[in-house]
Amino acid sequence: MSGVWLPCGDYHQTYSEDQGWWQTTFIKTKMILLLAIMFLGIPLLAPEYWVGVANMVGYTAMGALGVQLLIGYTGLITLGHAAFIAVGAYTSTLLVLRFPWPEFIVHWGLSYPISIIVAGIFAGFWSVLFGLPSAKVKGFYLILTTMAAQFITVDFILTQYVSRIGGRGQAFSLPPGTIHVGPWVIDSDRKIYYVMAVLLTLMVIVMANLLRSKPGRAWVAIRDNDIAAEALGINIVWYKLLAFFVAGFFGGLAGAFWISNTAALSPEHFPWFWSLWLVGVILIGGVGSIHGTIFGSLFMVVVMELLQWAVIPLSEYYPKLLIDFAYIKDSAFGLAICAFLIYEPNGLAYRWWQVKNYFNLWPFSY
Amino acid sequence: MELLLMTLITGILVGGIYALVALGWVLIYKCSGVLNLAMGELTLIGAYVTLTFYEMGIPFILAVVCTLLVGVALGFLTERIFLDKLIGEPILSVIMVTVGLSFFFKGMVEFFWGTDTRVFDPPVFAITPINIGYIKISPVYLWSFVLAIVLLIILVAFFKYTRWGLSMQATADDETAALSLGVSARFVYAAAWAIAFMSAGVGGALLGNINGVNISIGYLGLLVLPAVVLGGLNSVPGAIVGGIIIGILQNLSGTYLDQFFPGGVKQIMPFAFMAVFLLFKPYGLWGWERIERV
Repeated sequence: MSGVWLPCGDYHQTYSEDQGWWQTTFIKTKMILLLAIMFLGIPLLAPEYWVGVANMVGYTAMGALGVQLLIGYTGLITLGHAAFIAVGAYTSTLLVLRFPWPEFIVHWGLSYPISIIVAGIFAGFWSVLFGLPSAKVKGFYLILTTMAAQFITVDFILTQYVSRIGGRGQAFSLPPGTIHVGPWVIDSDRKIYYVMAVLLTLMVIVMANLLRSKPGRAWVAIRDNDIAAEALGINIVWYKLLAFFVAGFFGGLAGAFWISNTAALSPEHFPWFWSLWLVGVILIGGVGSIHGTIFGSLFMVVVMELLQWAVIPLSEYYPKLLIDFAYIKDSAFGLAICAFLIYEPNGLAYRWWQVKNYFNLWPFSY
Repeated sequence: MELLLMTLITGILVGGIYALVALGWVLIYKCSGVLNLAMGELTLIGAYVTLTFYEMGIPFILAVVCTLLVGVALGFLTERIFLDKLIGEPILSVIMVTVGLSFFFKGMVEFFWGTDTRVFDPPVFAITPINIGYIKISPVYLWSFVLAIVLLIILVAFFKYTRWGLSMQATADDETAALSLGVSARFVYAAAWAIAFMSAGVGGALLGNINGVNISIGYLGLLVLPAVVLGGLNSVPGAIVGGIIIGILQNLSGTYLDQFFPGGVKQIMPFAFMAVFLLFKPYGLWGWERIERV
């Protein structure tokens, strides 16, 4: 590791230095500080309300990571990712509520953690199933097959069949106290926050490591030019399916997390709208960057919260604004996507990069 | 047998409306290479605008004409405000702008018109079915089909024989060459969006007559996507044939498969069929096969 600052210009001597995560002491300090804020600062100091908001940010980011992997790194446009999140959520719920776990597993509170992993794997394979056409079709035609995933999974299989299991009708109720992780009962926003923070951190680490190793390079090659990638000896079908698997796996984890954050699970939590929302999140954050995904989630969730605050005083004069706030939110989201694509097509991640560069190169930017 | 025949005919009739909406889709795609995912919402807007005019006491045909005018205005506005700035940008951005637009339109429609189902009152078409031989057809379907076909013919004729239509085709073929020949690409794109709004608007008005107007019209508008892909994204006859095939498929699965898979098999079937179909014909029936080089 080099010193506190990386001098102007690149001075890496080896590839491992070049690929290193924490290249200077400054970055290391910064990241440790960030982790400290994430794991100690927010849950201990922030008010309960904002911890709840942070949970939404985390859930959005987890879902969007998979979309980022598919769209941003492999160039496979997906408009059906909510389906895989839903599969994960339902797998996890069914495992927790209805699977005949051996006594010791329930006793040690392992059923939820195990169900998270199983949910991820199952959602991954479900995603591969709908990724199969990507071997042959691409571009607009692929959009359709991913949409098919959404409608077939959520609107048909989950709504009509899975929701009926146990004769409960439409929703599975998950009363607080159902979800245990080890000795802890996940029943408050702060505890949910810790589940979220651990999962999200692990997912980001896994994704970043995948992207700087062989599969990641193969994905980027496929995104940039799939024919050239094939000519270079990359098995594009295998790597596309692998991308679908990993994205579905992340989606499944996000879904499994979501059940700790909700009191009842119903297919309405995963509409097509949510798939589009996730794509919007990565567009606003920046396509092809992991921290862009996080920025996008932060922006979308926090800005929408602030928008709600802005609407409350206005609703004194026009109460419909607050009653129909969900629709205002949709419209604002749509406009935000359009505005970002027109005026800041590289997303928030690019803006962040510019700010960082400004300070890195200060005071002589040449 | 009777049931089969009736299912088929209803399918063809509904398919006509799908074909109309599908045509709007294909037109935009052909002119600008953009897959317009806001089409469902355009259909929705069409349905609500027609309904509003109709409730003001304007006869249905006139209301549809007014919807066409509103559609043209909205189409031009949308193009000028949002899409004009994106000429030359990557296609994914343009597609996602249409997604953003669909969010925007949907939110606005829900905000201003609410989410309750509203019907055309008094009904535009007679409720008593018409008997043709053994088959009973409700007049809504029949008239919708006729109107859809008339509009289809007008649109196709416009596209093939008028100066504007030809300049649109030229732009679709090669934008640079068209520009050098004095075709205004901006005008062509604006016109494409206006036409898309118009065809979606009429489609919406007709669909609204069948099941009442609510937010699910937008979903029906989305069902057109399988129709478009089935025909091939850049084929006008493909859009028409695809629309009718999807209509038939939907009704057949609704009649015969519903007993085995209760629930929404009718809504899902087009998408499921499409996903499998694309495995065998990745460019639809008559879509251009793109030969790719490094």
